[in-house]
Amino acid sequence: MENMANKVARIPNLVDWSTGEVRLMSAKCGSCNTYFFPKEHYQHRPGCSREGVENVLLPNKGKLASYTVQYYPCPAPFKTDNKITPYGIALVEFEKEKIQVTGIITDTDLKSLKIGMEMETTILEMFTNEEKQQVVTWAFRAVK
Amino acid sequence: MRDVYIIGTGIHPWMGFSEKVFADFAAVAVDGALKDANVEWKRIQAIMAGIFIYGGNAGHLSGQYLESIFGETGIPVVNVYNACATGSASLRMAYNSVAAGETDTALAFGADVSPKGFLTAKSDNAVQDRDVIRWKMGGLPNPIYWALECRKRMEKYDTTEEDLALVKVLMSEYGAKNPLARFKKTYTLEEVLKSAYVCDPLRLYEICPVSTGAAAVIVTADKELISKADKPVKINATTMGSAIYGDPTIRISALSCPSVPEAPMLSESYSASRQAYEKSGIGPEDIDVLELPDNSSWHYLVYLETCGFCKEGEADKMLRDGETKIGGKLPVNPSGGFSSHGEALSAQALWQVIECANQLRGRCGERQVANPKIAMAQTYGLMGNSGTTIMSL
Ligand SMILES: [Zn+2]
Repeated sequence: MENMANKVARIPNLVDWSTGEVRLMSAKCGSCNTYFFPKEHYQHRPGCSREGVENVLLPNKGKLASYTVQYYPCPAPFKTDNKITPYGIALVEFEKEKIQVTGIITDTDLKSLKIGMEMETTILEMFTNEEKQQVVTWAFRAVK
Repeated sequence: MRDVYIIGTGIHPWMGFSEKVFADFAAVAVDGALKDANVEWKRIQAIMAGIFIYGGNAGHLSGQYLESIFGETGIPVVNVYNACATGSASLRMAYNSVAAGETDTALAFGADVSPKGFLTAKSDNAVQDRDVIRWKMGGLPNPIYWALECRKRMEKYDTTEEDLALVKVLMSEYGAKNPLARFKKTYTLEEVLKSAYVCDPLRLYEICPVSTGAAAVIVTADKELISKADKPVKINATTMGSAIYGDPTIRISALSCPSVPEAPMLSESYSASRQAYEKSGIGPEDIDVLELPDNSSWHYLVYLETCGFCKEGEADKMLRDGETKIGGKLPVNPSGGFSSHGEALSAQALWQVIECANQLRGRCGERQVANPKIAMAQTYGLMGNSGTTIMSL
């Protein structure tokens, strides 16, 4: 993995790279087994006791469940130093966790996208902040 | 519960951004409804107002602002927000108040002014407002959500880009015949297919923009007012639904969805429509004219299935066979739909109900469906909000 020392997520508690892999920060309910992302956005099964919710990281890899290519720039407060439009958006499925998560597609030929292909979680550098840190978001790319 | 009738409706025509204040548009719609119903302002015993979320204090208390224009009478005024289904919520409250006998005559209204730019997050709190995350980190304008679902549909069924374009062709043909619509230009299949992708497979002409507009509906159980009204329209049911656990739809503003479905797609609309069928004893096979929320061409197709007008994956065939045309088995969106209007959040569900009422009352001119007896208006709504209204002559 590239040097992550000088990188900071634009909003904390969504993406983690402390394990050496980039992984999304989810939470799992110990009672109804539902996974949430973002982790505070609970969606319990009706009747669940809501006991035993614990933070978990989603696997680094999943499968492409759907995608689109956005041809117009995303309006503010979205912000990137480099022009990224047109950019891909993926819906990536983590099969065991029974959850699909959206994310910008990076480092991938958008013409090669195919539902079912393997994708990995990575980061996308958005802009440099006043502390000269690279501000990043999570993203997905095709597994090479 | 008492029978409740729509006796008056009013609309301020849909348009783009305006410098005027929202209450001016609301007043035009309410004036129209009062005149149509042939009732004086003093007969209104409750106001159920859809709020204008970008309107600050005035917008959030839109009912009070409206009341002060026509003259304050001390009646209950309730302000409500349910995203695209806000108008459904205001109508449902007006209906319930009258049906329960709390009031005899009530007004439901909504007015919305299109923002100059895009709709974005309304707070800066990333923990409690996931709109903040989707705008700051997700790169997710609304149509992307529809495109992700549309792609899934095209992979699963035989929906084609021509089907998506054909929806716009039909909607533009009807919108051109609707003096209240914002977009009145007709398009050919080739023109739609040549328009740029916004987020593929959805093109510029296959998604609806935000608009400015206002709508008002007066409902009553007062026998005198019903008897002097021009073709009063009975509300057979007006319901609201929320989402059901396990709904696989990727909802606007969400960053995730379940991958193993345990509920129907667009479960809030499934729920609202099934409640309406049950309450009214009227089923999809009985509906003579339908207004559904065609925020995009994908919505047009999926809503026919969600509301039970055909089985999953069969809507494309209904469209191709002409069943959803005026003159077909189930005329859909003779108004021209959202495609010809654009979204005016708190007003749009009421506008859909008004188009249905106007169809039943035979007031639709060139876009009139032949002798409809039962009509249905169905909304969409962000974050699990939906409303269904079934009406009859
Ligand atoms: Zn739970």
